[in-house]
Amino acid sequence: MKKITLKLNGVSRQFVVGPERVLLDLLREDLHLTGAKQSCDRKGQCGACTVIVNGEAVLSCLIKAANLDGADVISVEGLGTPANPHLIQEAFVLAGAIQCGYCTPGMIMAAKALLDMNPDPDAGQIKKALSRNLCRCTGYVKIIEAVKLAGRFLRGEITPEQVRPDPAGKKLGVSHPGPSAMLKACGVAEYSADIRFEDALELAVVRSTEHHAIIKSIDTSAAEKMPGMFGAMTAKDIKGTNRLQFIFDDQPVLCEDRVRTLGDPIVVVAAETRAQAEAAAAAVKIEYDPLPVMMTPEEALADGAVQIHEKFPNLCYQQPQIKGDAEKALGESAAVVEAEFNTQMNHQSPLEPENCVAYMDGEGEEALLVVIGRSIMIHTHMAMLQKALGWENMRYEEAYSGGQFGIKAAVTSEGITAAAALHFRRAVRYIPSLHESMLLTTKRHPFKMKVKLAADKDGKLTAYVNDIEVNNGVYQIIGIVVILRSLQMLSGPYNIPNVNSLARLVYTNNAAGGAARGAGPPQVAFALESAMDMLADKLGIDPLEFRRMNSLKPGQSVSTGAMVEQWPFAELCELIKPRYDQAKKEAAAFSDGPIRRGVGLACHSFGIGGTGDTGMVAVEMDPDNGITIYAAAADPGEGNESMLTQIAAHMMELPLNKVRLVTRNTDQTTETGPAAGSRITYMVGGALVNALEQMKAAMAEAGGTDYEGLKKADKPLRYMGKKQTIKGGLDPQTGQGPTFETQVHNIQMAEVEVNTETGEVRVIKMTAAVDAGPVIHPHNLEGQLEGGMDQGVGYALREEYVHGKTKDWATFKYPTMKTSFEMEVMTPRETPRKTGTLGSTGIGEMTMISTAPAVTNAIKDACGARIFDLPATPEKVKTVLVNTR
Amino acid sequence: MDEIEESKPLSGLPTRKARVIGGREIDFDGEGFFRNADDWSAEIAEMLARESGLADLVETHWRVIRFMRDYYANYGRAPMNRHLKEGIGMSLMEIEGLFPGGIRAGARRLAGLPNPKACM
Repeated sequence: MKKITLKLNGVSRQFVVGPERVLLDLLREDLHLTGAKQSCDRKGQCGACTVIVNGEAVLSCLIKAANLDGADVISVEGLGTPANPHLIQEAFVLAGAIQCGYCTPGMIMAAKALLDMNPDPDAGQIKKALSRNLCRCTGYVKIIEAVKLAGRFLRGEITPEQVRPDPAGKKLGVSHPGPSAMLKACGVAEYSADIRFEDALELAVVRSTEHHAIIKSIDTSAAEKMPGMFGAMTAKDIKGTNRLQFIFDDQPVLCEDRVRTLGDPIVVVAAETRAQAEAAAAAVKIEYDPLPVMMTPEEALADGAVQIHEKFPNLCYQQPQIKGDAEKALGESAAVVEAEFNTQMNHQSPLEPENCVAYMDGEGEEALLVVIGRSIMIHTHMAMLQKALGWENMRYEEAYSGGQFGIKAAVTSEGITAAAALHFRRAVRYIPSLHESMLLTTKRHPFKMKVKLAADKDGKLTAYVNDIEVNNGVYQIIGIVVILRSLQMLSGPYNIPNVNSLARLVYTNNAAGGAARGAGPPQVAFALESAMDMLADKLGIDPLEFRRMNSLKPGQSVSTGAMVEQWPFAELCELIKPRYDQAKKEAAAFSDGPIRRGVGLACHSFGIGGTGDTGMVAVEMDPDNGITIYAAAADPGEGNESMLTQIAAHMMELPLNKVRLVTRNTDQTTETGPAAGSRITYMVGGALVNALEQMKAAMAEAGGTDYEGLKKADKPLRYMGKKQTIKGGLDPQTGQGPTFETQVHNIQMAEVEVNTETGEVRVIKMTAAVDAGPVIHPHNLEGQLEGGMDQGVGYALREEYVHGKTKDWATFKYPTMKTSFEMEVMTPRETPRKTGTLGSTGIGEMTMISTAPAVTNAIKDACGARIFDLPATPEKVKTVLVNTR
Repeated sequence: MDEIEESKPLSGLPTRKARVIGGREIDFDGEGFFRNADDWSAEIAEMLARESGLADLVETHWRVIRFMRDYYANYGRAPMNRHLKEGIGMSLMEIEGLFPGGIRAGARRLAGLPNPKACM
């Protein structure tokens, strides 16, 4: 042990430390500071723990505390507070650089170290200085803008007051600072791992080392004797169904007699410290009897394949879609293209690991089980836990969560944590490693798609065939929903009179598929948009014109046969045309030599407002004439808090600070469905509008617009608003029927550079033209698009999750400042939707759907290599080039 | 039961079924819960009660059903058992015993309160 004295945020502090302790331990464990975060298992890969030591930005997870005697340390807590923020914190908030906020304190500290040395950095210098800091939400665009803005503040060229929108001014179409942005900038927004309880036990989980096996025996006797050990629990200790059920009851909280994938949970160990829990977990002995392993649908559907779940066949779902007569139309068409496309399994990659904490409030059978975690549908997840654990008296609280992108639609760590709190009757914390978080989460489903697309001699689409095989992985989760969404949006923005598809969902021993930004449409759009370019090429028609001329028109129908009333897509083709023409001209200058440039397009029309959906929001008039909104509308960074606040302030003509949000616990909120499917603006925003309209009507009747007026007139102070979509669903035999109430449309253009000698692809620029209806918060719309396009490029070129092999951000090939690229979000078209929320729709998922095919179409344009299998790695591009030659 | 037609699956999704009850088509989830609380009526509750083996809904049943529906209308979520116990003034065991299927699968289902929405 060694005694050190250091200065932290200007205050002298003393510590006695062992050789293994790092600076991050002192900040988080000893001082309970929450600004420095941990994402990468202390490998120095994420930058979320960045602080400044002796004037330099360092990764506090790598700095041995014993070497810090006499050091001058500044953490984000030393910069400013929400009431008195530092100018860099102001800049990050005002530039719209904060979404989930998990990376933000680290980014801000790296920015401070840069600006202290160089008060006027250019983009290249900013990228270099922040190159060790990862962000999954923003595509880095607004972070670079924030650092530039901070520089202007610090140089005295401009003040935050000159940039900050007038809070008493216009409410809609203005980028007012988000309600929680400054908390995140100051490092005081509490994420699950930041929440501490007195005497909480730390959990570790013994997970399957086999992909598929019978559990022969579990021996915890050695673990029970380990130092600090409190206890171990298995499936036998769970009193409920032990099943986490969305659609099928196939996923155990803890495995009973069989494991079905690598990392399946078997034993929970509780100990005084996390290290002790992990050591005890390592001492648990499990004997397996291996079963055949089936990682692909081909293996799972082979003759004699072992059934993975006793209750469900390996081919666990199939849904056809038949519109018109595709086979006949194919035979009569002037041009047909045919190909097989494959997309990879991918990780959604929120920066925050799957942390969760829980405790019991009270004693005995009356005790309340409180779970604090990362859910985007707290009521649904609480109901799943109630059944699984056999304990009704629960509350779920949503902590701030570090990224989402669909992964938090499934229950993961909450099952373990809640079960342990209930069993041990103690507060517990489950802070899994990044590697473990990858093992226990759902992934983007891999699709295999056999496609035929046809057009007549005039270039009008005639028929589309797509046979889809989906690797569902080990548990159903929402696999069926992914199939249905794929079919509902199968024809994208286009009028295709004849469609024939069969989508099949297959259990395997791979990681469970789940919700992932777009959830189905990104995969099918890759096939359709690639085929669109192939067909345009065959017909000799420009790809942009080919898309424009095949746009659906009001009165025509999508692949489900549902007629559309509004379809402002062709206008986006016209909007982007000048950029497209310019890009093509610029790329033509690179048609010789090993470096070739290309331009690619892809489009999508993403459904918003699925059938049979309900949103519910309660609003209350407060004694100070402000409004409180009650709704479980999660906001893991997309901007739902801003949307609700700004709509309410606009409708009630209130200052923004008179609108309060209660959204994060099941005891006070309405059950208003998941923050998924890009539905919150449309469904929950719509329900809010309805509630406020009721309140305003009551005010008009009362003759007063305030609290006292309503009270004197004996009018209610609380109003429940609803938004309901049309009923119905797809016919099981034909896949025909009603679909989404409206759509958000977009077209994206990729400009790429291909090194034809190495196969390396560099994205030079992505451009997006979008029509989501009237824009409520421009920064949030741009931020979603920029982050979505960054994820889309990762999906196109680098990212792939291989179960058991992808273990951290390096092996995942996480997007970095180095891989970031120029993006342009064109001034959006704002066609009000008839059923929209004040005309608006939603934006979150559409943003990445067009990106991958735009990139692969650009690769083809650059060098002639058509990529059929994602991701387009250098090896793959090079192989295709060799084969093409 | 001739007043309730057999369910038919919607889009093959086991979490949704449509049934025609008293001439109206109503969406239910896989556990038989209403998907939309506004589809509920007292007559439909009586029909569903008879289907579940409860011949008559008496005032005690209606007290529970009314409490649940009022709570849902005001708060936008189903009451927890602790709220139900306080609101009705009966023990949970007594309320459980009133309905085939107990509080959740019995009373709450007959009261037309939807399960929390699982996904899109």
